[in-house]
This record gives sequence, structure tokens and C-alpha cells, in this order.
Amino acid sequence: MKDFEYFAPKTVEEALSLLSQYKGEAKIIAGGQSMLVVMRQGLLAPEYVVDIKGITALDYMTYDEREGLRIGALTIHRAIEKSPIIQKHFRVLSEMERNLATIQTRNWGTIGGNLCHGDSAGDPAPVLIALDAKLKLKSLSGERIVAMEGFSKDLLEVDLEPDEMLVEIQVPTPRPHTGVAHEKLMVMQGDAGIVGAAVSITLKPKEGVCEDARIVISNAASVPMRVKEAEKRWIGKVVNDHLLAEAGDIASAEADPPSDVHASSEYRKEMLKVFVKRAAGKALERAKEG
Amino acid sequence: MNQKGIGYVSKTPNFLIEGGIGMKGEPRELKIKVNGMLYELKVKPKALLSDVLRKDLKLTGTKRGCLESTCGVCTVILDGKAVRSCSILAVQANGHEITTIEGLAKGDKLHPIQEAFINHGAIECGFCIPGRVMMAKALLDENPNPTREEIRLAMQGVLCADSGYVKQIEAVEIAAERMRGGE
Amino acid sequence: MLMEGKFSLKAPIKKIWETLLEAETLLSCIPGAEKIERIDEKTYDCVVKQKVGPISVKFKFKSIITKMEPPTHIEIEGEGEDIAKAGHFVQKSIVDLREISPSEVEVSYKTDVNIVGKLAMFGDRIMKAKAKKVEEEFTMALQERLRSMG
Repeated sequence: MKDFEYFAPKTVEEALSLLSQYKGEAKIIAGGQSMLVVMRQGLLAPEYVVDIKGITALDYMTYDEREGLRIGALTIHRAIEKSPIIQKHFRVLSEMERNLATIQTRNWGTIGGNLCHGDSAGDPAPVLIALDAKLKLKSLSGERIVAMEGFSKDLLEVDLEPDEMLVEIQVPTPRPHTGVAHEKLMVMQGDAGIVGAAVSITLKPKEGVCEDARIVISNAASVPMRVKEAEKRWIGKVVNDHLLAEAGDIASAEADPPSDVHASSEYRKEMLKVFVKRAAGKALERAKEG
Repeated sequence: MNQKGIGYVSKTPNFLIEGGIGMKGEPRELKIKVNGMLYELKVKPKALLSDVLRKDLKLTGTKRGCLESTCGVCTVILDGKAVRSCSILAVQANGHEITTIEGLAKGDKLHPIQEAFINHGAIECGFCIPGRVMMAKALLDENPNPTREEIRLAMQGVLCADSGYVKQIEAVEIAAERMRGGE
Repeated sequence: MLMEGKFSLKAPIKKIWETLLEAETLLSCIPGAEKIERIDEKTYDCVVKQKVGPISVKFKFKSIITKMEPPTHIEIEGEGEDIAKAGHFVQKSIVDLREISPSEVEVSYKTDVNIVGKLAMFGDRIMKAKAKKVEEEFTMALQERLRSMG
């Protein structure tokens, strides 16, 4: 690993000042669970490293029935996994975290770091998109709120200006009769999904007809991809087995997955059919439970 | 080294200090407690926690395996949490408490987890064992009565190329029972 | 990993053929190309840089033309490695030029790239993500060059 100049700000303001000062040349490190791997391989060699892991003010989780869930960007994955509030009101987040890497990684890696790394094979992003989450970004000149959906611009590229920092993840309380589920193809539990799917279904209570749906697939394109074409087919209908399978077929057709050491593009396309259907089926069950 | 209180390590870091050209790589103060002993040393920002433990503090029980954060043999306990020391910058551990495999035994008396692994035949080549025992310790410290599934998940965090994991899971069960019995 | 595409260029087929083989052309049109040197009539020495998010990779490689049927068909084999020694790759490409009209040509390509080494973890996905973009930039740059050559 190359040497770098190192800063360890203790507050958000200090961190933002550093980012502003070294615009473009400074790289933030949080838990470093994604970043250190590529740094050790010589693929990433920033001149200035701003270590925000010590900013304890960004390590929190709050829940309010009206406002929903607010997670500080430096909350570790393990805390989200184990949080009783999240297990009760946003079960899918805890389930997703349980299958993310290993316990050790979750004990130090942060949700914010994961999202800003922008890996299209990552799990938090598709689940947060399915949950219609928003992100709060801050810079010295102010703050802005962006939808999780638009945050990923390309593989490893996110909508963050060089002087900006992610500070908070906001997840709205799901509407009644909404079910959300996440499934991914792993060889070993915790593996990055060879493919993955996060699905949210909202039903109209009396008729059991689908009112709203979000289908997001991972490792199927250079960013987490929403399959809007498949979602449309469900709106206004009672979602049955046939429609679940159809969604899988559409997702598979729209995706352009990579071929790599883990799986070929063709295999990924086949597996998308299976995993979209599985996640959708689970989401539907949960929506029916109310 | 002073066995009683603070253990001072010489100010010369593992990596040679380059002659003060600019701030890049300039060694930083690191104050950490390892196995109950307080250390003050200077390390380069790019130094990994595993390297500082092994090279500066001579605690070589913690191993280096994959170098890409996959195998877990570098696992230590930081503030009660199992972490991969190869994937943490040493400077991030500043002010924190670390336990390595060397910190388990009390003098000649082995920790129940160590004894269970030995007596149950759960050690083959031994390379993954320090990391594995630390995973088990972190688990049992947090949850003294884990289910087999929970033990299995904890063991999954450290790869073993030899054993097939069954004996190791059983050893953790045996240790857990003994520790619940009050040892 | 297989990548394929098609694009069209407005120029006579012979002109495209000649321009495409010039090291100068490739250097100015391939995104991220830092050095393209024609060693002999079949061999090129190349250095190409590509950036994905915060990650930069610089590839040093040799390309050899294994088959040439002017002005319609060309096959190239390449082999090289990442300068940071994070990966090694081999590549086979087939490029076909088809005359649509005296001043328009359809270029279709099929490339098979295999990366081994540390970069393999990211390499394939980086390439896939960037492939479309690289193709677009290359096409635009080549078209511009053909136009400016008159």
C-alpha cells in the first residue's frame, strides 16, 4: 500500500472542511472493509485519507412511527442486524444484514461506507431502494436529500460531490399491507450475491390487489437496477404465481449481468428468474399478513 | 518490557521512518491496550492492525492468511467485538482495547475454549485456530448459551482448509457448557 | 467474458480500414490510451488507462493481428497485465466491416476477454460496466477523426 496523508476528524464539520480543502484528492474511509481490500491490491491509492470512523455523532438509529427510521451513516452493519426496533418494524433490513459478509466485517464496516462504495453487487442499496429510502448528504455549503434510487451512477460511482459526505439514511415507515423481502444466490452464507433481488409489494386491503411494487436486482447491471417494466404488470391486479414468474422473466430479460469467476452472464440471467420470483413471493406473503 | 504497567515499545516503528519529506506517511501516535497492557507506539497511517500486532508487539499468534479480507485467520477482539485485524488500519484502533490469542490463557492455565479445542481433537494444522478461538470467545462473551446454528455462524467467519468444522463447533459447545458451569 | 457491439461510421470502407490500423488513430480515439506504438505490421504495444469510481487501472499489453482480410475482416489477439501487477489478461477480438453505402460502413465487433489475478474480482465487472461507454467514446472520436481528415 502506498503512503498517504491521514486525518482523523472528530466532527462532521471538521471532516467537511478537510474534504473542501483537498477537493477531489481526499478519500473518506469509514470502516474500510471494502476500501482497504482494494487499497492493499494497489487498485486505489489516495493521496489524502479522511478517516471518519471516529465521528461518533453519526452512529445512531432512531425510529418514530410518523418520521420512520433514521440511521446515522456510521452505524455498523451488526448494530442494524441486531436492533430490536429494526427487527420489529423493518425486518428485511435485519435479514439483509445477517447475510452480509461475515460477523467480523459487520462489526467494523458501516452502512454509509457500504452505500458510498457503490458496488452493484451490494445488498443494502437494493433493499433500501425497495424501501424507498432517502439519503442525506452534507457539505460545507449545505445539505441535500437524494433518493436511494438515483444514488448509484455507475459501478463504484455514486452521486457524491468531492466535498460531500453521506450523513444519514432515512427509511419511511412502510404503508400498511406492505411486504418487503430480499433474496440472493450465495454459495456460502454471506457471499456477495451472484445475483440478488429485493422486492416490495403493497396491497389494497380489501381486494388484495397490488397497489404499489418495487423490484430491484443486484449484480445484474453496473448499478442496482429497478425493473419498472415488471412492476407495472402487477399494479391493479391480484398477484398470483403466474405474475410472480413473469416478473422474474422480465427482470432476466432486462438485465445485462457480468460474467466473472463466480458465474457466467447466462447463468446469472437464469438465476434472476428464480430469485426475483422467490423474493416477490415472500414479499407478497408478508403483504398479505398485513 | 515492563510487565506491570505500561509497556513502552521503542519509538522506531516497524516501517522505517522516511526522512521527514512532507506529511505523507508520517508516523502517528498509537495508544492501544492489548491483552490488558497499555502500549504507546508510533505507526505509519497505512500500517494494518495485524502487522502492528505481529511485528511491533511481537504477538504472532494472530495470523496473516488471504490478504484480501476473506479468510478470517487474522481475527482478534476489539472492544468486545470480533474483527479482522488485516482489514483495519492500526490508527483506527487508537484508544481501543484489543484481545489476541495470547491474552486468553492465565499464565499456564489455558482458557476453557483452548482446552476444549485441544481435548476434543478440533485442531488439525492449527493455522486457523487462533482466529477461530477468538471468534468463539467473542461469541460466548456476548452469548453464553448459543444455539448450534449460532456457533456455526460464528465458525463460518474463519475459514478452515482441513477440518470440515464439525469438531470445532462441538468444541465450542463443550467450552460453552463448561463456562456456564462457572469457570 | 464476451462483449459484442455494432456501430456505424460515415466514411468509405477503404478509408476506415486504413485509418483504423494506424497507431495514431488508435492513440487519439481509444479512451484512456496513453501509448499505442506499431512495432511491426502486425504488432502493437499499448498502454491504456481506465478509471471506475475511485479505482484506476493501467494496462500494458501487446496486440497482434492474427488475420487480415482488407477491407472487411480483422482478427486480433492481445495479452497484457495491469501495471500494479494486480491482474493479467488475454483477449481475442474479431472486427467486421460491412459497406452499407459508398459512404457508410457498419462495424461489428466481438471481443472475448479473460482476466486472472486480483483484478479478476473487479476486472470483469469493470469492463462490462465501461464497455458501452468506451464503445461510444471510441466511435465518436473515430468519426470525428475521419471527418477532420476530409
